[in-house]
Order: sequence, then C-alpha cells, then structure tokens
Amino acid sequence: MAAIRIENLTKTYRAGWRGKETTAVRNLSVEVNEGEIFGFLGPNGAGKTTTIHILLNLIRPTDGAAYLFDCPVTESEVHRRLGYLPETVNLHDYYRGRALLEFYAALCGLPAESRQARVSQLLKLLKLEDAADKVVARYSKGMAQRIGFAQALLHDPDLLILDEPTASLDPVGRKEFRDILLDLKRRGKTVLISSHILSEVESVCDRVAILQTGELKRAGTLAELSAGRCTIITVKSLPPDVLNALTTTAVQITLAQGQFTIRCPDEPLHQLVGDLLRQNNIEIVRTQAESQSLEEIFFSSIEAPPRL
Amino acid sequence: MKTILLIATDSIRSLLHQRLLLALMLASLALTIFFCVILSHARKNISSSFSEERADNYTTVTNHMSVAEQRRFRESMESMTSTIQAGYYQVASFGGSLVAMLIFGTAVAGEIRRGTIRVTLAKPVSRSQFLLGKYLGGVAIMAGYALLAGGSIYFFAVSQNVDLSPAIKWGPWLMFFRQLMLGSLTMLFSLFFHPAIAALLAFFAGNGFYSSPNPLYFILPSYQDFNVFFQVIQGSLIDARDIFLLSVYAVDFVAIILLLALWRFRRKELV
Repeated sequence: MAAIRIENLTKTYRAGWRGKETTAVRNLSVEVNEGEIFGFLGPNGAGKTTTIHILLNLIRPTDGAAYLFDCPVTESEVHRRLGYLPETVNLHDYYRGRALLEFYAALCGLPAESRQARVSQLLKLLKLEDAADKVVARYSKGMAQRIGFAQALLHDPDLLILDEPTASLDPVGRKEFRDILLDLKRRGKTVLISSHILSEVESVCDRVAILQTGELKRAGTLAELSAGRCTIITVKSLPPDVLNALTTTAVQITLAQGQFTIRCPDEPLHQLVGDLLRQNNIEIVRTQAESQSLEEIFFSSIEAPPRL
Repeated sequence: MKTILLIATDSIRSLLHQRLLLALMLASLALTIFFCVILSHARKNISSSFSEERADNYTTVTNHMSVAEQRRFRESMESMTSTIQAGYYQVASFGGSLVAMLIFGTAVAGEIRRGTIRVTLAKPVSRSQFLLGKYLGGVAIMAGYALLAGGSIYFFAVSQNVDLSPAIKWGPWLMFFRQLMLGSLTMLFSLFFHPAIAALLAFFAGNGFYSSPNPLYFILPSYQDFNVFFQVIQGSLIDARDIFLLSVYAVDFVAIILLLALWRFRRKELV
C-alpha cells in the first residue's frame, strides 16, 4: 500500500477581480511507498507546498485526487496516522511549551495517562527540556521549529509530512534532525520532506521528485535519476584518426596518468564511441557511469528561469 | 464531542489572551462602577433636595415629608433608577455586542490568518469539530460576560437598596441570546469577508429597517426584540412566554446560521 498516492493532481487559483488563473500544480502523479523517505524538490513556486496543502485537505484540488494510506485526503480520521510540520511554524504561542504539546496530544487522542510521559520524552529528544515551561511566544526560531517537530511526532505517526523542516535550525540541530529521521526510517515510518537544502535531502532520502512550475520533471532514486546520463570510458591509447573523429563529437577527452578518459554526456554518444573503439580494436580499460550529486541532477532537471 | 470541547477550551484560552477583548471587558466593568457611583451621588442629591436633614437613607428622608412630597420623591427616585438601569443595560449590551463581534469574527478567521489552523487540522480534527469548538468557546465567553453584566446589576441593586425594573432582570439573558445571534452571523460572514467587514455587516443586518411583507424582515435577525431598554425605562413587565419564544427563536436562528457556516467552512481554502 502506498502511504501517499497523488493522481493527476491539478490546482488552479483564481486571483484578482478578473479571476486571472494561475496553475500551481499541473497533472501531478506521484506515489510514496510506506517506509521510505521521499524528497520533494523544486525551486520557489514549484508547487510543493500547494501539493502538501492538498494532502492535508487545507485546499481542494481543481482536478485529480490524492490519497493517504488509500483513504481520500478529505477523511480527517486518516490524520491519526499523520504528523505535519509546516514551513512557517505558527503555533498557539500563548501556551507554555509543555502545555502546548499536551493540548496537541489530547487532540491526537493520546490517553491522559500516557500523555505526560510522551510529552516529556519528546521534550528530551528535541532538547527542549529547559524551555518546557517557557511561553511559546518567547521561543527563538530554532526552538519554535523544534517544538513544531515535537508536535508532529506526538502520536508516533506512520507518515510525516515536513515542509522545509530545517530552515531555522543550526548545523547541530540539522544533524540531530537527520538522526531522528534515520531512526524513523529504521522503524518503518514514511517521511515526505519538502526542502531546498539538497545536501540534506540527498543524505536521507530514498527517492526524490523534482517539480518545476507545478509539473513533475523527474522522480526516482538517486541511482535511477543519474542513470543514462554521463558515461566515462577509459582507454590506454587513442590513434590520431580516432582522436580526430572523437573531437568532432560532443565527448570530452582528457589525458591523465597515461590513460585517455572519454566522457560521453548521453547514451547515444556512448553507443557511438563504443562502436568506434571496437571497430579500431582499441582496448577499453573500463566503462563507468558518472555519479552525479543531487545538486547536479536537480539543475539538469529544471529549466533555467527566463532572464529578467 | 471531546474534540469540540478541547477546541472550545483552547479558544477560551486564546480569547483571554486578546488584549483588546480584555480591554473591552474591563471598560464594561469600569462603566458599571461608574453608573453605580453616579446613582449613589444622584440619590444623595435628590434626598437632600427633599429634606434639610442630611441623610443617606431613603426611609429617614421620607419620614420627614408630606404625602405629596413622598409621592414626588418616590417618582423621582424611580424615574432616575429606571433611567440609570436602562443606561447601564444599553452600555452593557453595546459592549457585549463589540465583544461578540470581536470574538466570533476572529475565532476562525484569525486562525487562518495566523496559520495556526494548519497544525490543528492536521490532527484528527474535522472542520465541523473545529468550527463548532470555536463557536462553543465564544459562547462560553459570552455567557461569562452576561453573568458579569447580570452580577453587576444585582450588586448595584443590593448596594443601593433599590428594586430592579422587572424587565432588567431578563436583560442579561436576552442580551446573551442577542449576542449569540450576532456572533453566529459575524462568524458566517468572516468566512467570506475580512472580520471587520463581517462584524459591520452582521451588526447592521437586523430586520429593523423592514416591515412584515418584505421577505428580508423574516430572513434577517430580529435584534431589537431582544432589547429591553424601553421596557426598563417604562418599568413594564416582560411576559415569560415572550422570553421563551425569543429564546427559541435565537436558538433556531443560531442553528441555521451555524449550518450555513459549516457548509461554507467545509469548502473554504484555508491558506
């Protein structure tokens, strides 16, 4: 069963007196499997937060449907299995930290006898013990982010939706957050993270989806996304005629430590180079796919915005 | 029901942290004290004008008067007491209306504006539970306000040793229902418009501008029927049957408006 299933989702907003239409999400289809950490990437205005708001039933899709654990998102009961941390953590700031978590715990239906213990456990986990009796309005941004994360974890949900979860955290906080996520993954929980911090997504996510202007550009594991891209062929020698032939193509050739490295940017060129080398009986030392960072995948997936 | 009560409790907590609301309530309380002080001074002035002898006590003053003087004195005292009671009621009622518009206008709209609703509705809380919880929280505050208004008029009566006008005894009860009607309408309008516009629309949506054949007369709320100002001035009685019918009317009106609000809120985009 998919933890999240999004089918042909489209969201169009009408704004202004004339009702000018803006499409925030266009025909989006994505599945997030149970037990995986899924990264939702895209530049500003890509439609990530809009999609999350549809999943939370805060806004209605113009077309298509979304399901959480095979239940339509309009069913509030499915939220018993859901934890959510918004992009901007706006909580009821007139509570003290502990009281706020107890209020949310009660809303989640946690029994009164286990509520206090769970709240104390999360305050300890998120290093908020010293701030537990402080009014939330006096929390720093980082502390607000931590208590926001704590409220999302209160009922030990099967699915966590985190919108820019580490935006206000310092490096230590980010490391702690990453450790918590990896622990959740070990326990079979599903996490959907929307983030701009690509290195963070790369270090924890099993799969990612890259969105731009409301459209899904690419989706898959990091290995899948980098597959079929650059291939590196290493040979010991290159006769001048073959070298000349290769330089007329888009490959990049470098000579280092007595070996030629031919970088083929795509699969057809890889085939062409391979055929040429075989025809000339050139020994191939090795062929390997070039590993790409998530940042490289991201930038190769999105189109450059028009210049202003 | 438990979820609705939790939301209502949170709503009360939130409202009690609103400085403007507290200021309005304190202002109402201050005006009550002000009216009591005015009455006390006015009674002393009237007493001294009817008797050379300084006396703070009604009985002491009347013992030294002729029958005609006693009647005139009694009429003056009753007229002044009624006017002050009516004035007090009008201030408490208007203050209550402001409090109701503030509470119900911002109860849901404020949560949407601040973004706090996102986290609450990500919990297993339906939109209906949320809206009803918010309304219930407002009802509790308005009940507290009506008790405060009723309590202070009772305190005024006991401390000044005066009989309350028969109509004023029902004043807080009717004021409470009037404010619930106003509040429900403000809450409904706040799901369409800015809370300030919603409050103004709800306040001026009374059917007082229309008469019976006009359909609006039957659709718009009948706020003026809940106002006991003239009955207090005239010292007239209010029939218990009228009180019952007005209460039923208010409950029906609130129920219909809340159904409309629920219908609208279920469809509203909350970002």
